[in-house]
Amino acid sequence: MVDLLFYVAALVAVLTAVGVVLARNPVISVVSLLTCFGSLAVIYLLAGFQFLAAIQILVYGGAIMVLFLFVVMLLNLGGLSPEDEDGDDPLFHDRRRSAGGLAVAVALGSASLIGILRGARHLAEPANGYALPDEGFDALPALAEAMFTRYSLPFEAASVLLLATTVGVMVLAKRQRAVTPAGEKRP
Amino acid sequence: MVIVKRKTLTLAERLYLPEILRGMSITFGKMFKPKITRQYPEEPLPTNEVTRGQPRLRALVDGNLACVSCGLCEAACPAYAITIDGQETDRFIEREPEKFEIDMLRCILCGFCEEACPKEAIFMSTELELAGFTRASFKYGIDKLKRSTEELAPRMEYIKRINQRW
Amino acid sequence: MNPFLIILIKTSVIYGGLIGAAALMTLAERKFSAWMQLRHGPNRVGPWGLLQPLADGIKFIFKEELCPDGANPWIFRLAPILSAVPAMLTVAVIPFAGNVTLFGVDFGNLSITDLDIGVLFLVAIGGLSVYGVILGGWASNSKYSLLGGLRASAQMISYELSLILIILCVVAMTGSLDLRAITEAQNTGNPLSWNVFSQPLAFLIFVIATFAETNRHPFDFAECEPELVAGFHTEYSSMKFALFFLGEYCAMIVMACLTATLFLGGYSVPFWEDAPWFIQLGTFFAKAGFFAFLFIWVRWTLPRFRFDQLMHLGWKVFLPLALANLLVTGAVISLA
Ligand code: SF4
Ligand code: SF4
Repeated sequence: MVDLLFYVAALVAVLTAVGVVLARNPVISVVSLLTCFGSLAVIYLLAGFQFLAAIQILVYGGAIMVLFLFVVMLLNLGGLSPEDEDGDDPLFHDRRRSAGGLAVAVALGSASLIGILRGARHLAEPANGYALPDEGFDALPALAEAMFTRYSLPFEAASVLLLATTVGVMVLAKRQRAVTPAGEKRP
Repeated sequence: MVIVKRKTLTLAERLYLPEILRGMSITFGKMFKPKITRQYPEEPLPTNEVTRGQPRLRALVDGNLACVSCGLCEAACPAYAITIDGQETDRFIEREPEKFEIDMLRCILCGFCEEACPKEAIFMSTELELAGFTRASFKYGIDKLKRSTEELAPRMEYIKRINQRW
Repeated sequence: MNPFLIILIKTSVIYGGLIGAAALMTLAERKFSAWMQLRHGPNRVGPWGLLQPLADGIKFIFKEELCPDGANPWIFRLAPILSAVPAMLTVAVIPFAGNVTLFGVDFGNLSITDLDIGVLFLVAIGGLSVYGVILGGWASNSKYSLLGGLRASAQMISYELSLILIILCVVAMTGSLDLRAITEAQNTGNPLSWNVFSQPLAFLIFVIATFAETNRHPFDFAECEPELVAGFHTEYSSMKFALFFLGEYCAMIVMACLTATLFLGGYSVPFWEDAPWFIQLGTFFAKAGFFAFLFIWVRWTLPRFRFDQLMHLGWKVFLPLALANLLVTGAVISLA
């Protein structure tokens, strides 16, 4: 029963994840991503992590995806217009600034990657009494303690990575038309 | 230029909550006040002789219609609701309607027929309710329109009274 | 008795009760609004109009299903379900009463499940119902619906924040996410141990935030008749519309239950610590019923806010207050 549920949830997760990328309509993408998160939560539940499942739905399902949907609907992305594709790539519009941004992004990204990898090595070894709990909520204090003491560096590094990604997305997705190369708003 | 002086609100008013509570206490109190809605089918609207309901034909004491089938009401009706076919009769009035039909879906209850009638044969009754399942059922013939003189008497008196003013 | 059977019985009783209560609430809404406006309200179907919800339901079923031109049919159909199901799921963790023994059978505690992350579950699943509103608004391919959906999402995100912060205060006081544990902590026989007395500000913010969270007056910008026709469900008809309605009323009932549980001690009877379960249940109904009535009462009293006022209130008043409240709570707890 549990196995079957796992396979169903996993299948749904994979299919919807593919759907996120393939869907032409951004709203459909968001809905698939939501379904994907939902099935991930199911997998967490099956593994006994009630807390993680609830947090997954609360944070990703309840807050972040609503924000996504909000933004998608507000921007009304109907797809790229032809002028966005004629080689006027916003990323490389202002070479000096993009280079700086790229450098910062690479630095941040690699720093956080190193941090996460280091943390992952720690996670892999079950020593030191911080073995991850397998008993859902009751072991939550242990989880919290591990997260905020021993693994606080990778934890923070992951959030920095997310920040870097957000900035990158902003740069990539920003409509360049409203801004001249000098950075001044057109009247 | 009009300068609107805004009322400076007290702290309690700016906190909003006391005023909300005041409003809510008002609505709560209203819940127990007597209701003012009329429960229509059980409590019908009050009617009197001024009520201009659906037109009805007056029958004489002997049961025959007072109508002489002159067609004046038919001509006066702005909604073309009345259809009359006349016929001769041995009675003193010599003519009577063979068919007198008012299409109640067309009638706008204007009362022109009542004013036009020279024989005091058609009056606006106090009957207001109109319901049916088919269109045909709204074509009222003599059988449905006939009312006794007593029933229409108050309206008759009223019309006579107001006509005396002219 | 078979434990599976017991769970089945409890689940069906509680869900039957929820749907019945939602139906009753639509009637209560119309009745109370009528009384406040010196009218009689529905009184034709059944005694005192008690069968009115049934008549409404039958009417909804027989109405024509419409799907507007250019709408996304799948999301259009999905939205009402997404709105109703999460709202109904959340009732699973509400503790209605203590241990129930009926006809010699021990049914255990009267709630579908006492999840040890009950509050979290409730907030997480309850937060999903906003999708019904947004997606319904988007999929309808209508400007009114879209605006209604956008407003609803902005509003629900803003107020969910204060709501969760307030819940955190209560959770911090009890030290548990389990709603039954929260109730039991207040069930001391002394009403003064109810959280409403130790957290009056939190109580106030919570109650107001629930109004925004369930899209009720004076914050019903998702519908907002004078500006948006009917907001996100403008294009919906028939049973799909009924599902939106059901979701809204179920969410209201759950929120009323949650308020009673978090702040008024849930099923705890004043001055009677271990009352029998039916008295506890009655107490719970009285408390939750009051908040359900409050939803109706406020709706028919207050005018609607303006949208910017709503955002101002949410972000600049409630959020700092809730944060400060949490801070003070944390400080007091750690000092004590
Ligand atoms: S009341 Fe007016 S509309 Fe009706 S039958 Fe008489 S004249 Fe015609
Ligand atoms: S005006 Fe009077 S008398 Fe003439 S047809 Fe009409 S009802 Fe009959």
